[in-house]
Amino acid sequence: APAYHLILEGILILWIIRLLFSKTYKLQERSDLTVKEKEELIEEWQPEPLVPPVSKDHPALNYNIVSGPPSHNIVVNGKECINFASFNFLGLLDNPRVKAAALASLKKYGVGTCGPRGFYGTFDVHLDLEDRLAKFMKTEEAIIYSYGFATIASAIPAYSKRGDIVFVDRAACFAIQKGLQASRSDIKLFKHNDMADLERLLKEQEIEDQKNPRKARVTRRFIVVEGLYMNTGTLCPLPELVKLKYKYKARIFLEESLSFGVLGEHGRGITEHFGISIDDIDLISANMENSLASIGGFCCGRSFVIDHQRLSGQGYCFSASLPPLLAAAAIEALNIMEENPDTFVVLKEKCKQIHKALQGISGLKVVGESISPAFHLQLKESTGSREKDVKLLQEIVSQCMNRGIALTQARYLEKEEKCLPPPSIRVVVTVEQTEEELEKAASTIKEVAQDVLL
Amino acid sequence: ERQERGGRMNVGTAHSEVNPNTRVMNSRGIWLSYVLAIGLLHVVLLSIPFVSVPVVWTLTNLIHNMGMYIFLHTVKGTPFETPDQGKARLLTHWEQMDYGVQFTASRKFLTITPIVLYFLTSFYTKYDQIHFVLNTVSLMSVLIPKLPQLHGVRIFGINKY
Repeated sequence: APAYHLILEGILILWIIRLLFSKTYKLQERSDLTVKEKEELIEEWQPEPLVPPVSKDHPALNYNIVSGPPSHNIVVNGKECINFASFNFLGLLDNPRVKAAALASLKKYGVGTCGPRGFYGTFDVHLDLEDRLAKFMKTEEAIIYSYGFATIASAIPAYSKRGDIVFVDRAACFAIQKGLQASRSDIKLFKHNDMADLERLLKEQEIEDQKNPRKARVTRRFIVVEGLYMNTGTLCPLPELVKLKYKYKARIFLEESLSFGVLGEHGRGITEHFGISIDDIDLISANMENSLASIGGFCCGRSFVIDHQRLSGQGYCFSASLPPLLAAAAIEALNIMEENPDTFVVLKEKCKQIHKALQGISGLKVVGESISPAFHLQLKESTGSREKDVKLLQEIVSQCMNRGIALTQARYLEKEEKCLPPPSIRVVVTVEQTEEELEKAASTIKEVAQDVLL
Repeated sequence: ERQERGGRMNVGTAHSEVNPNTRVMNSRGIWLSYVLAIGLLHVVLLSIPFVSVPVVWTLTNLIHNMGMYIFLHTVKGTPFETPDQGKARLLTHWEQMDYGVQFTASRKFLTITPIVLYFLTSFYTKYDQIHFVLNTVSLMSVLIPKLPQLHGVRIFGINKY
C-alpha cells in the first residue's frame, strides 16, 4: 500500500474519532443572559394593571345597543333610526325570501356543520354555492370561506411565501394587511391609487431583477388591490393595473368585498364596471357579508389557481365550514341579484344623490367616489390630535342618532394598522333608503355639523 | 437513549413537525435501510458480467457518493408545502437536517458511511493509483459540503436560488 494512501487513511480515521466525540451545537449562538442579568430584569419588572386606565368616554365603554336586526329601520339604544351604518347595500338582510330559504335550510340541516371542509363538513349547499358563484362571476371555480376576514387573509399566504414580493396599496384594509403579515413576503407599499408610484416600484424591481436574474426567476410578484376601498371609498384604476401587470409580469389579486354586488351592470364587480375580461385578474376575493347579506367569503378564478387553496388555504382547511343556512341564504340572495339587475342602477342613483346633497357641509368633506355606496366624511381641518377629532365626530354621530339617523365612525385598531386613515364618519347607502330619507339624512348631517363644528 | 434514534415523528398520522425533512434521517430503521441499499447497489453491480471486482467497488463508491451529493447537497427545499411559508426553500437537505444543528447522530452517521465505504473500496482496489484518484476526489466531494463552515455556502453563487 502506498505511503500517501496510508497517511490519508490515518487522517480519515482521526476525523472519524473526532466526529464520534464532538458535541452537537447550534450554529447561531444565542446570547443567554447571566444569572445576575436575569435577577436585574426580574427586579425592575413592574406588573401592568389588569384594567389599564382609560378615559370614561373610551368607545369600548360607551357602546350602542341595537335591539332587533340591523335592517333598514334599526333600533339603537331604544330609539328607532334609519340605518346608514350597516353594509347592507342591496337590502337583502331583511328580505323575506332570503329568510325563508335560511329557515328551510335550518330545518333540514340544523345550525352548524361541526367540521372543516375536509372532515365531514362539506354539504351540498356549499358545493351549490361555489358552483353558483363561479357561474355568476364567469370564472372556472370558486371556493367558500366561513369568515369574511379570513378569506383574503388566507388567500394571500397560500400563494405568496418568503422571498416573494407583494406590491400593495397603502389604503388596503386590515384583512389584507394581516394576510400580508402572515405570508412573510416582502411588502412594497405604493401611494393610494397612484399608478405612477406603482410603476416606479415595479421599475426598481425590474432593475434589481436584471442584476440578479437567477433570483428573479424564483421570486413571484403580486399586486394586491381592492376594487372599492373600504378606507377611502375610491375605485382602483383597474385598466392601468392590467397594463402594468402584463408589462412587469406580476399577478393581480383583487379584493372585491365592497364592489361585489354594487358595481357593474349585473353586479359582478369592478371587472364588469370597467369592461375588463375576468381572465386578466388572477384571483378575485370577496366577502359575502356586504351585498350578499350572508357570512363568509369566497375566492374565484381559474381552477388551477383556486384548487390550490383547497389544501393551502388555512382558513379553508382548518376552520369549520360555513353553516348551511347561511350558504342557502347566500344562494337565494344570488338568485335575487340575478333576477333584478336594475337594483344596481337604483343604488348608483341613490349614491350620486346623497353625494351631491352632502357636498358643501361646513367643516366636513366627503371622501369617496360618487358611485361608492360606502364613503367617509372627514373633518376639513383636523384639530391636531386624533383623540379630539374622534370626540368631535362622535358628538356629530350621537346628535344624528338623536334625530333618527344611525351613523357610525370608522373604527381601526390604531396600533396595528400600517397606514392609519384619519378619523371619519362612514356613511352607507342602501337600496332600501327612499329619496326622502336620503334628503333627511343629508339635511340632518348638515345641521348637526353646523352646530357641532362652528 | 430511546430518543437518540428512531421515529419520534408519527408516520402516516397528524404530527406537529413543521418540516418533516428535518427529522426523516432520524426515523426508525432508516440507517439500516441505507446500509442495506448500499449493499444492494453493490450486489447489483457485482452481477454485471465482465466487470472486475475492483471496478465494481469503485463504481459503488462513485455512484453512492454521486447520489449522496445530489440528494443531500444539491436538491433544495421540500417536495411538499410547509406551514412556515417556505423557510427552507433555499436550503439543501443537509442544511435542513435537525434544523441546522451540527454533529447530530444522523449527521455523524452520514459522514462516517462514505469514509467506511472508501476504506473498503481502497482495500478491494488494491490501492491502485487511478482508482485512488477517482475515489478520493469523490470522497472529498461528499465530505467537504458536510463541514459546519460550509453551512449555507454557495461557491460562485452556484445553486443559490
